[in-house]
Amino acid sequence: MNLATYSNGIIHVTKSCKACDHCSSVCPTGAIHGRLGQRHRIDPLKCINCGQCLINCPFHAITDTSMVDPVKRALKDPNFKVVVQEAPAVRVALGEEFGLTPGTNVKGKMHAALRKLGFYRVYDTEFAADLTIMEEGTELIHRIFKAGGVPGYENSGPLPQFTSCCPAWIKYAEDNCPAILPNLSTAKSPQQMFGAVAKTYAAQQLGIDPANMIVVSVMPCTAKKYECDRPEFIASGYKDVDYVITTRELAQMIKDAGIDFLNLPDEQADSLIGSSTGAATIFGVTGGVMEAALRTAYEVLSGEKLGKVDFQAVRGLKPVREASVDIPVKTLGKTMKVNVCVVTGTKYVAPVIKDVLAGVSKYHFIEVMNCPGGCINGGGQPIRREMA
Amino acid sequence: MSEIKGKVLKHSGQTRTMHWLHLLTFTVLTVTGIGFYFHLDFISNIFGGAASASVVHRWAGVLFTIGPTLYILANFERFSRFVDTITTFTGDDFNWLKTMGGYIPFLKGEVPPQDKYNAGQKLLGLLIIFGCLLVIITGFPMWLLRHDVAPAFLAFCYTIHLWTAVILVLAIGGHFFLAAIHPKSRVEFWSMMVDGYVDAEVTAHHNAKWFSQLKSM
Amino acid sequence: MKIYVEKAAFTRRQFFKGAGVLLISAVITGVLSKIGLDALAISDDYVEKRAAGLYQLDESMTIRRSHENPEILRLYQDFLSPGQVSPLSEKSEHLLHTRYGKDIPHLIEEMKKSEAAA
Repeated sequence: MNLATYSNGIIHVTKSCKACDHCSSVCPTGAIHGRLGQRHRIDPLKCINCGQCLINCPFHAITDTSMVDPVKRALKDPNFKVVVQEAPAVRVALGEEFGLTPGTNVKGKMHAALRKLGFYRVYDTEFAADLTIMEEGTELIHRIFKAGGVPGYENSGPLPQFTSCCPAWIKYAEDNCPAILPNLSTAKSPQQMFGAVAKTYAAQQLGIDPANMIVVSVMPCTAKKYECDRPEFIASGYKDVDYVITTRELAQMIKDAGIDFLNLPDEQADSLIGSSTGAATIFGVTGGVMEAALRTAYEVLSGEKLGKVDFQAVRGLKPVREASVDIPVKTLGKTMKVNVCVVTGTKYVAPVIKDVLAGVSKYHFIEVMNCPGGCINGGGQPIRREMA
Repeated sequence: MSEIKGKVLKHSGQTRTMHWLHLLTFTVLTVTGIGFYFHLDFISNIFGGAASASVVHRWAGVLFTIGPTLYILANFERFSRFVDTITTFTGDDFNWLKTMGGYIPFLKGEVPPQDKYNAGQKLLGLLIIFGCLLVIITGFPMWLLRHDVAPAFLAFCYTIHLWTAVILVLAIGGHFFLAAIHPKSRVEFWSMMVDGYVDAEVTAHHNAKWFSQLKSM
Repeated sequence: MKIYVEKAAFTRRQFFKGAGVLLISAVITGVLSKIGLDALAISDDYVEKRAAGLYQLDESMTIRRSHENPEILRLYQDFLSPGQVSPLSEKSEHLLHTRYGKDIPHLIEEMKKSEAAA
């Protein structure tokens, strides 16, 4: 049963569909129906809202539902304090909508533009990414201790642990292999952790009533729109994240407001829940969550500092990658070989899951990102159509 | 002028067969293409819906490709002669084009003597050869490689395929009008569509330079 | 009746023109194929570039480890696990952790109950 199925899903094929059938080859769940020549249609029950079809449609015939209007209304409403967070992947792609090359870092201009749009506080999802590492990394350590028979960790979950920040992956797992759900980290995604912390801790610190706080997140992702509407994300006592807009939608809002983006001075995020680290920044690329987790897990478990923090072995764009890291575990007095796996592209995850369910997986920790390359190639990012 | 008697064999059996095949497949391709591409259900439904119209379109495309390919391979000499004629332009051809052979009501003037094909037909021949090449080489990737090519390239193929098809349909529309309807030109209808023969009197008038070659053979 | 028929001659010129058309067709096909292959080759260059952008940004940052983020440490010490940095505290479990699939209705019930109690 699909609890979080909304009436129509987030992604829709419009009347401009030329029935070229290219999209059915990028859909990870076979949710697109239609034969060549026949206008295609998305089954909202099977769709995991990832938007890969949207960014790969040769005719720009697929759209995602927009929450821009309620965001604009909230910004204009004096009763509300609208705070914003932005994912790592946004800052190296937003500039493309203004003519810059892919990969150009516009973090500072992004913050400046958001302030100009009228957001009350401009924070950063990267803060919550660090929070995710703290929670999920500790959870992994506990699961490893449990598997190693260390007393006191009997209530921890099973190994291997899967990352849980990708809402398309979560829906995929819930729809197609619920048997794997106990292996998913219980940690929320950075977007959702941010919302919960914003409407409790930040509201307190800022002295505002969380009932009047609106949390907006700028994401490279269309599935995040589905995620923020999931009924269980009300831990703060309110809807933790109210609205999600994509990188494309933010660019449009900036243009609509007549802001001269390219000439904005660099500005920093607001402090309290806005500072980021390098580990948080790489969350947007496949292998980045894994690398960030390893940086912390290594130092926490060994009590030592890493000379180099780069874990090149988990980097790259191959759909399934694996690595082994030797970590000295102080409390156990021995060195552990931690086996990790990185999957980018949901269509490649089935064999990995099969091994886990069969009890033969050699991995301790598995990162899964639905979009090939990671969030930087998400359904909410600027659409590229270079030919040469 | 003395009355010219006799007939000219203008088109061989293979040529006529290939023309029929191409004509029929082109018609099916046009109708099915317009039906499913422009979402005109009343057309698509003739073929059982948009998806079925697309299937018919593809297989008609296969015949559309195989027909001329086999013809060219089996009649390379004849094909080469045809290409030679349609790529040879003299002053007579340019002057024909100035008045469009007198076929357009308000463009009147003297029509110079023409080859086996008049200047307009030569241009049409070139247009058809390269137009068909373009729809064929864009059409097959749109079907067989639609999952594998870059989205930008697929859109590029669709653009070329569509516009080339539009130009071809307009050109064939003109061709059909002159071949089957216009009183001055439809006299040659039988030669391509049935038995291959044109009255010698017609050829002497429409294709004087070719006729003088034939007479001397 | 007199029937006029073309003589079946095949001149060099005709041969080269016929072959020429076939050659031009092959060239046009080759050009289109090259365009297609080039388009495919660069069709996901942008992903590598965006990835490189993030890794470069990481390298340029003063703090590169999550557990060294001072605001994170303050969040734990002031709010999530007062006085210490303890992930998976009760407050963390409530705010920052979740459940999946069929466990969700129960989770929602729990949250509503603790809301009502508070």
